[in-house]
Amino acid sequence: MEKILSQEKLREWVDMLDDCEVYAPAFADSVWNHAKIEAGVNIDLSHTNTIGSVKEFVFPQREVFFRFEKKDGVPVLTPTLPDPKPTVVFGVRPCDGRGMPRNDTVFNKEFEDPYYWARRDKLTLVGLACNQPHSPNCFCQSVGGSPHSEDGLDILMTDLGDRYHVKGVTAKGVEAMERGRDAFDTVCDGDQTEVEKIHEASRSHPQRPLGNLDAIPEAIRESFDSPLWADMAQHCIGCGICTFLCPTCHCFDINDEVTSPTTGEGERVRTWDNCQFPDFTMHTSGHNPRADLGSRLRQRVSHKFLYFVENHKTQQCTGCGRCITECPVGIDIVAVLERVSQ
Amino acid sequence: MVNVEEIRDYAASLLEKEEVKAVLGFRRGSASAFAEPCTITDAGEAASLVWDPTCLNNLALYLVKDRKQQAAAKTPDNRPVGIVAKGCDSRAVGVLLQENFFKREDVVVIGVSCEGTGVVDANKLSDKLKGRTASLITFSGAGDINVSVYGDETETAIPAREILADRCLECRAAAPALHDVVFGDTVEARDFNEPFHAAKEAESVSEDERWATWEHHFDRCLRCFACRAVCPMCYCPECVVDSTTFVVTLGTSAEEKANRIRWCERSANTSESAVYHLTRAIHLAGRCIDCGECERVCPVNIPLRLLNTKLEKEAFEMFEYQAGHDIEQASLLSSFRDEDPNSFIR
Repeated sequence: MEKILSQEKLREWVDMLDDCEVYAPAFADSVWNHAKIEAGVNIDLSHTNTIGSVKEFVFPQREVFFRFEKKDGVPVLTPTLPDPKPTVVFGVRPCDGRGMPRNDTVFNKEFEDPYYWARRDKLTLVGLACNQPHSPNCFCQSVGGSPHSEDGLDILMTDLGDRYHVKGVTAKGVEAMERGRDAFDTVCDGDQTEVEKIHEASRSHPQRPLGNLDAIPEAIRESFDSPLWADMAQHCIGCGICTFLCPTCHCFDINDEVTSPTTGEGERVRTWDNCQFPDFTMHTSGHNPRADLGSRLRQRVSHKFLYFVENHKTQQCTGCGRCITECPVGIDIVAVLERVSQ
Repeated sequence: MVNVEEIRDYAASLLEKEEVKAVLGFRRGSASAFAEPCTITDAGEAASLVWDPTCLNNLALYLVKDRKQQAAAKTPDNRPVGIVAKGCDSRAVGVLLQENFFKREDVVVIGVSCEGTGVVDANKLSDKLKGRTASLITFSGAGDINVSVYGDETETAIPAREILADRCLECRAAAPALHDVVFGDTVEARDFNEPFHAAKEAESVSEDERWATWEHHFDRCLRCFACRAVCPMCYCPECVVDSTTFVVTLGTSAEEKANRIRWCERSANTSESAVYHLTRAIHLAGRCIDCGECERVCPVNIPLRLLNTKLEKEAFEMFEYQAGHDIEQASLLSSFRDEDPNSFIR
């Protein structure tokens, strides 16, 4: 389904999704991030990319697995499978959209993660094509994506200046569009040509090249013991920014959080974890196989461009550039791959 | 004006004469318009050093890192290290000296005066550009900072005081007091904001409003620990509020591992993140030298500097203490005065 939506009718469409939680980018605290859209709030799709990726909607930083307590000396477990309202996210950039099928694979391949899927099944992603890259660190095309990729999105919107071209990509997307029926206009031939022109132009902007993607896994494999890693991680501070903001990083930790030691009440929770933290690979013996930051940088890059390719035949990176832009010390995954490939 | 060639020549000569094993400085990076840290070990590399208001990092962090590495090394290399330091960065070196983290002869401070300006605040710049990326940031030496926006042909001149970091607007010691050499004019007084201006402003609202503000910020915290990881004063091998740094050795008993108290859970929720940030702030009282690194690196822009400067304000008002200003002075929390009016001291 393809439709035209004038700028001023966007709000009308959103209002018709009244049984859903609607999120859209908002600029607050000096940064774009997802914000819940309440009735009457203006939606501003002039955003660059949000600091947090859409993975937060399916893989929240804190997920309660179950609650536990002791009743008459017997442990009692209460399930806490999430049952969220249908959620629609507007303004999703195609790189984030492409992250989603990668996450789906991880949370489905060997084990279907019920917590992930309870949220995923209720989530509709409304993408917005990037008419031009919003950061010099964008490299979606270098990892097989495109600024108007539909991969992982339920709807793709393209900004035509005074109106949007809106394309329903999945059944979920078409359903969301049907709910806003009266807000939409039909597409005429001229619109179609304009969309194609804009998409073509969006692909013509130079992006940072990665060279031959197929050669990267071998280059990484060969450089496993290279001193390059320590050199490139020389100024790494070992924080979690690169992985926490990444649309495809999905490592987690599981802890029991006891709220009352007397009644044994508490929750088992899953929280984001991070290969850059020292305890990530810490063995109980005290031995840490990845004791230094060089080996942790190698792990992050290898997971995305070697192990994931071996396991799932695609890169675990969609070129959003967050890990580059937000790194406090300028560690740049494109430059890292370039040096490893040399 | 600082002539960057002088910094390069000095760094190169230190390396040539083998007075230092490395020089910590700034270079242009591939990731952004801001400079990135570099460690040069060869005099030939000194040509890549840069100096301008995009040199944000406090490189004293890498002095700490080096000391830790050498302490763990089988054959430690304890030769001195040179460091390019702004006024605030030199105070970090000062606190580390006061706390005996290393000795004065272990470090060569290549002081650089901020000369009445300071460094650009990436958040203020982001507000000006509504999140768009600056591709080039230059300082003319006059009152403006010129910014080119990525994807835009035009260059905009922004008055420096509108995008300089709050700490620079409040700074009274732009020229490094602790130094082996200083480049640039040693301009002391600047007429931007009074010291602790931002903290005083934050204090001026009601308690309820303050709590609402901080609840909002703690709620947004991702607990990526970048603020702790970047802080040169947060050198503890094991952080009481960062569970990711639990130090386990062959000698750690099973009991110790099992019974370790988690003062702060891994969950990034409002209360745990409040405990994390407030504990960290308290542990920095009388030690924070106001380099603003915690606030700069925060990916969701929590105004962390305010927590620290609030405590430094207390230290100054109560004890006239300024962290890192005088290395001969005993550090605030490890000293007392006989004339202290409080009875607990006696």
